[in-house]
Amino acid sequence: MESMAEVHVIGQIVGATGFSESSLFCKWGVHTGAAWKLLSGIREGQTQVDTPQIGDMAYWSHPIDLHFATKGLQGWPRLHLQVWSQDSFGRCQLAGYGFCHVPSSPGTHQLDCPTWRPLGSWREQLARAFVGGGPQLLHGDAIYSGADRYRLHTAAGGTVHLDLGLLLRHFDRYGVEC
Amino acid sequence: MAETVWNTDTGEAVYRSRDPVRNLRLRVHLQRITSSNILQYQPVAQRGKDLIDLATFRPHPTASGHRPNEDEEEEIVIGWQEKLFSQFEVDLYQNEAACQSPLDHQYRQEILKLEDSGRRKNRRIFTYTDSDRYTNLEEHCQKMTTATKEVPSFLVERMANVRRRRQDRRGMEGGILKSRIVTWEPSEEFIRNNHVINTPLQTMYIMADLGPYGKLGYKNYEHVLCTLKVDSNGVITVKPDFSGLKGPYRIETEGERQELWKYTIDNVSSLAQPEEEEREQRVFKDLYGRHKEYLSSLVGTDFEMTVPGALRLFVNGEVVSAQGYEYDNLYVHFFVELPTTNWSSPAFQQLSGVTQTCAARSLGMDKVAYFSYPFSFEASFLHEDESAEALPAWPVLYCEVLSLDFWQRYRVEGYGAVVLPATPGSHTLTVSTWRPMELGTVAELRRFFIGGSLELEDLSYVRIPGTFKGGRLSRFGFRTKTTGSVTFRLHCLQQSRAFMESSSLRKRMRSVLDRLEGFSQQSSIHNVLEAFHRARRRMQEARESLPQDLVSPSRTMAS
Repeated sequence: MESMAEVHVIGQIVGATGFSESSLFCKWGVHTGAAWKLLSGIREGQTQVDTPQIGDMAYWSHPIDLHFATKGLQGWPRLHLQVWSQDSFGRCQLAGYGFCHVPSSPGTHQLDCPTWRPLGSWREQLARAFVGGGPQLLHGDAIYSGADRYRLHTAAGGTVHLDLGLLLRHFDRYGVEC
Repeated sequence: MAETVWNTDTGEAVYRSRDPVRNLRLRVHLQRITSSNILQYQPVAQRGKDLIDLATFRPHPTASGHRPNEDEEEEIVIGWQEKLFSQFEVDLYQNEAACQSPLDHQYRQEILKLEDSGRRKNRRIFTYTDSDRYTNLEEHCQKMTTATKEVPSFLVERMANVRRRRQDRRGMEGGILKSRIVTWEPSEEFIRNNHVINTPLQTMYIMADLGPYGKLGYKNYEHVLCTLKVDSNGVITVKPDFSGLKGPYRIETEGERQELWKYTIDNVSSLAQPEEEEREQRVFKDLYGRHKEYLSSLVGTDFEMTVPGALRLFVNGEVVSAQGYEYDNLYVHFFVELPTTNWSSPAFQQLSGVTQTCAARSLGMDKVAYFSYPFSFEASFLHEDESAEALPAWPVLYCEVLSLDFWQRYRVEGYGAVVLPATPGSHTLTVSTWRPMELGTVAELRRFFIGGSLELEDLSYVRIPGTFKGGRLSRFGFRTKTTGSVTFRLHCLQQSRAFMESSSLRKRMRSVLDRLEGFSQQSSIHNVLEAFHRARRRMQEARESLPQDLVSPSRTMAS
């Protein structure tokens, strides 16, 4: 039993569809529980700004390559996303927050991660329609935890598409079926 | 050599090596089979392979009847980038006027030295190394088709450039500034380096001068025997492949005097000493072992285990979306109900949740609200009551969709429930929902203007009410209306000691029930084993605490 359980997450953030804004970029991060240790890879990142030419899909093809080891199953890696749009003046405005669990079964997974954004009062909604801006989350942890979500009033945003490949190692030695 | 099996596969072969390429040694063996007048008389022989064998078989006795002199047969061992001069080059460079570049002069010196000592080791076989003019020329003028004139394209020019410029490429790679991702004004040099593959490549040609006896040193009789290419990553490309057991290659010369030659190429690079290899392997093993230890020390190896006989169920899930509802601004209230028997959950677990309120957007015909609401929980199943024949009940996920309007009034939009998947893996569940309905327009009007409507008093009524006792469940008289659906995405994990054994026996997924059978036996065996281990440990401790002479009386007696 001297081997540790390991997880490789290899994939990419392909792009996003369904956003009303055009020039989009995405900030992403991976959050894990205390039993998990990142052995190699970058835990968070930001894509380039992509302006779709045909159709409404923005492609980022942003690589994700992470190697975790763990002592327990609690706190499985979770991926949180923030989609922003950049306008012609270089101003950035929030387009959506997204969340998805990293799948726990080995293989490739095509994930569609829907997003939402805080709506704000009708004044703010009006202001957003004309000059942009709009409310954002004060603490980013509300994206990947559900505890205080009920306080929010949100609007549905677009969808972020991800391709993730999962490689698991030594989980069978601990009697885990995934 | 009773029969010759020709190797007609002249395609390239790729090898990889971590060793320095200068250790590469090739043995080339070239032999004239016939001055092939016979081939001219037997045009049929060229069609079938068997007939060719016959044809080559026949002249053989005459060939071996001759003394195998140097002109007929040649064997030579060539190192990587070792220069062997052809007769043509020997003749050329002896004339000083022909020497232009420093390389030419260097060759001249070498040739003069060789001629003086008379120790030229090759006659027909010679090489063109990476720095030779031929190598560039060959790459540039190589024809791929039968077209009379091939115009080299842009890419061809670039590729030739790349290969030639490989020496000063090395520095460039590190020199590109990391901070600047996009170059707005690419330089000539930049384009040259980046528009084509840029693996530096070294080439070497092994050639043969197949001129008739006494007429060596004519360019027309030069034939390529083998092309070797090595890149900086240790990839060695050999075209054609080493002969090995596959038989020799053949060359038929063209022209009036058709001649047939055969040749073999073999890899004779000296192997590393076994002890050296062993040492290298030991060093690698040591390195990897230490790296592994380091990683293990970072994480720790004490993986969280279940109690024997228990099944732990982990669910990482998300409330993805809700679609198709009548009113806007939806939120979902959900909870997981564990069956009353055998299931338990750690106290800190949250088995319920309320999402944010989300304004829907239209997607096709439907209106969709996105939540991306994460939840995860664990529960364990302990089969205590072996006598019960009933199937183990599985946890159920209940959900309730509500809408909130501008005046902060809420309406029930739907109820739904789904049994959690019993197989591990990723599952997307779409739960269709319904809501209780009152007949008549008045009720609908009330719902529209005032909000609120019929609600279930007990959410468990969605499936089997908690208070239900009896044989038949009837909902007659209860009217509902179909509403939208809620999408959940669940990633399930199951952990049990039983799986450790079954996976070692290579049993694949069966029904969960099968796999959990005999839980109680297993746990009782485990208990016995545990007790045995405890007793043994106590005995050992007692042993160690005893005085040494008491433990081994024989030794004290002997001394």
